[in-house]
Amino acid sequence: MERRGFLKILGATGGALAFSNTELTPEAQAQGVREKDLRWGKAPCRYCGTGCGVEVGVKDGRVMAVRGDAAASVNKGLLCAKGYHLPAMLYGEDRLKQPMRRGADGSLQPLSWDQALDLIAQKYKEALAEGGPESVGMYGSGQWTIFDGYAATKWMRGGLRSNNLDPNARLCMSSAVSGFMTQFGSDEPMGCYDDFELGDDFVLWGNNMAEMHPVLFSRILENKRSRPGTRIVELATRRTPTSDYADLYVEFKPGSDLAIANGILHLLFAKKKVATAFIDENVVVKRGIEDLKTIGYGCYDEQAERYTFEDKAEPATWKDVESFLADYSPAKVQELSGVPPAQLEALAELYGNPGRGTVSLWCMGVNQHVRGTWMNNLITDLHLVTGKIGRPGANPFSLTGQPSACGTAREVGTLSNRLPADRVVTNPEHRAEAEKIWNLAPGTIPAKPGHHAVDLFRAFMRSEVKVLWIQTTNPAVTLPNLARFDRKPGDGRFLIVSDIYPTPTTDLADLILPSAAWVEREGMFGNSERRTQHWHQQVPPPGEAKEDAWQIIQVAKKMGMGSLFPWPEDAWHEPMFEEYRKFGLGNGKDLASYKQLEETRGLRWPVVDGKETRYRYAAGHDPYVKKKAGVHFYRAKGNGEKAAFWIRPYHPPAESPDQEYPFWLTTGRVLEHWHSGSMTRRVKQLHQAVPRAYVELNRVDATELGINPGDKVRLKSRRGVLELVAEIDGRGRPPRGTVFVPFFDEGLLVNRLTLDAMDNISKEPDYKKCAVRIERVS
Amino acid sequence: MSRAGWTPWLLGATLLGCPAAPKDEAGRPAVEKTAAVDRAERRAYDGAPPVIPHPNLGAECVGCHHPRGVQIEGLGYAPPSPHEKTSGLSERSRCTQCHLFRQSDELFRSNQFAGLSQNLQKGERLYDGAPPVIPHDVLMRENCAACHDGPAAREVIRTPHPERVRCRQCHLAVSREGTTLAGPAR
Repeated sequence: MERRGFLKILGATGGALAFSNTELTPEAQAQGVREKDLRWGKAPCRYCGTGCGVEVGVKDGRVMAVRGDAAASVNKGLLCAKGYHLPAMLYGEDRLKQPMRRGADGSLQPLSWDQALDLIAQKYKEALAEGGPESVGMYGSGQWTIFDGYAATKWMRGGLRSNNLDPNARLCMSSAVSGFMTQFGSDEPMGCYDDFELGDDFVLWGNNMAEMHPVLFSRILENKRSRPGTRIVELATRRTPTSDYADLYVEFKPGSDLAIANGILHLLFAKKKVATAFIDENVVVKRGIEDLKTIGYGCYDEQAERYTFEDKAEPATWKDVESFLADYSPAKVQELSGVPPAQLEALAELYGNPGRGTVSLWCMGVNQHVRGTWMNNLITDLHLVTGKIGRPGANPFSLTGQPSACGTAREVGTLSNRLPADRVVTNPEHRAEAEKIWNLAPGTIPAKPGHHAVDLFRAFMRSEVKVLWIQTTNPAVTLPNLARFDRKPGDGRFLIVSDIYPTPTTDLADLILPSAAWVEREGMFGNSERRTQHWHQQVPPPGEAKEDAWQIIQVAKKMGMGSLFPWPEDAWHEPMFEEYRKFGLGNGKDLASYKQLEETRGLRWPVVDGKETRYRYAAGHDPYVKKKAGVHFYRAKGNGEKAAFWIRPYHPPAESPDQEYPFWLTTGRVLEHWHSGSMTRRVKQLHQAVPRAYVELNRVDATELGINPGDKVRLKSRRGVLELVAEIDGRGRPPRGTVFVPFFDEGLLVNRLTLDAMDNISKEPDYKKCAVRIERVS
Repeated sequence: MSRAGWTPWLLGATLLGCPAAPKDEAGRPAVEKTAAVDRAERRAYDGAPPVIPHPNLGAECVGCHHPRGVQIEGLGYAPPSPHEKTSGLSERSRCTQCHLFRQSDELFRSNQFAGLSQNLQKGERLYDGAPPVIPHDVLMRENCAACHDGPAAREVIRTPHPERVRCRQCHLAVSREGTTLAGPAR
């Protein structure tokens, strides 16, 4: 209600009324609902990988409030601005409420669920008949619940016999997956959030934690306040709100983190700060393919269509390590990175000090990197050689961006090469185990990995994939180098998109399905610290919206694959979860039972005898470790149950600034918006805080170019052009020669400029480094 | 957030939104309830963190919102933070993690969310003269004086005995309604 109208009411009722209901807004007068009138239920937050506990206040089938859950150990009652504004995310006026098909003229016509499901089944059947399992695909999300991802992987691999299933998590943390897999033979961190209170030094590698994991950053700040001497060290390519709290800020040239990590290793060996007894007992050395030309970047020349590099691991020795590290002297590292030797020495002193607990943290800066797997390996290498791993307050810890990147994409295994609980499609034993649990004929699951995310869309554009179904993600905003994926509906391929709001991706769809969101359906997410969290449906979805897993199950049934989902229509969540749980029991990936998850604020796996595990591989913590003390990397079967230290060199970025395109462009998120903004931009308070994308410029660069704050600036890369408003000395302050643009704004698509270069091993694109030129428009 | 983001709207809202502002926008003497109206308007629902009713001044928040609060000529009174005794929310914490500046008054799309309304009920008393029970959640509102004392405190909730600093010695906090862990909520 407008303020003026309200004052009129006040006038009419007599301004002197001291304290009565006339003070309420009209909505409130209509409802008069109080906190005590709501029914409060638990759920994890819908947004990031932190997994904050939320109490959801419901009345008459609508969410009216949330509270930070004080009983949730993740957040202890605190949320961030996105979390506090969760309820409004559900009620944007343009929620999708019924299935719609695009007609020949481009207009959308409603159809029934039955018709929509029949149509999908028919399209998939036709494609299978004509082009086989290679011609169908599905693209999901780290925002899929465990149920959604499990239904998808079982249907795709066990029903359609296709591995063309990949999640947007490929764009987000697949480098962390390949990092952990290559070093420990098992995905996901050994540490947990308890380290935020127990650690002494927090080293943030390219990680703007204050904005991306704000509640966890608060835990570090509280540690710092209550235990003086706790330090934050930030390595970054631009100053962010995180930098305001750093005791040491180390600025480096984009991509040179590889050189810095090797430089720290160089100093640790040179100064004999290596934990020799620890590495003798627990670590082996490996080396992969290092030739730049062989590896490439997956975006130029003959690699620009199909990129299929396979690394080859060779055993190596500590002597090899020392001679390899000779190339990374402080002087050489300074030349590559711009980091002064004194800062490198400080980092080596910190990692090499056995008296201090060191926690390394990273997220997109390291993962969205043309050598992201290598960078993951190198950070873990620092912890392996110093023995700072598998103990409270000292661990490498990979933060995830999405609420169930771990729970769904990684644990369920919706990546194109994976099966549940660390299994891969290329391993015949793993396929056989999956076929047994799924009650499928031997040989059903194909051995060849499917297309990874970028390649899946390239294959769709080549018409090799003819039918593609997208759920819970918005690739028309988030894929790199978007011009490659321009398409018009009705071009012979068939695109199905399930979402809760219209997006640029639904604009490309031939068929749009309305999905139920968050607490409109039952779900489970798995957060960054291996915590699986369950919630019940708390309100009905709007219109005919349905949960994603239900949509998949119904299509499977229409295709005669109902035996994959043999559970009662009204009670399938629990039996589905208990079937999925079989994959992890007994092999170190044990999830808690459905019943136990219902009754707790989540538990961290492995959960054995009902007890969660805070520190994996650690004696006294992990029930799989039989040693009395120390660590046992029992999942690294290929290395004699020892962790692998990888020799990984520096390689330059795929594209660097030159005379024609003299600036680095780096992209990312802001605290207020969730990814492509389709949810958070519909929340008034969040949208009004950051209403549109902008470009952050360095003040000196701006002065030289004659650009003032608020001016319109044109950014041009080799792939596209974008006009944005300039921001100078705002929340982010890039160094000279660098600009930053957030990617949440569907009206200002920075991914028309980014490069689709990718990591050689994880196939994760590098959104952080490409070259642009800048000019003032007005 | 640059200073270039300032708008006349925001400046207007700033002056209007200050509890001590003497006039409303129609030029009439401000009624006592204005603070309650402002309080509701700054929140998505009762319990949500309020948006910041003034432009980004480029200063540390606690520079003005410190334990004694600050009266700023021509701008109004900056009350202390109610969180200053909250564990995990020290003065080194990031206020803008939860409190948002308003850089625009436009909407991206309309929204039909209607949230929990402001609780204007007084706390119950066991008998006449007994200390009232605290009628609201106290999580992250440990510093009672931030709202119940000083120039920002509305008359109806202003404490008559600010010298008694241990409020919860006499005023009990109602516990949160229990969160239902098991069983679907339909």
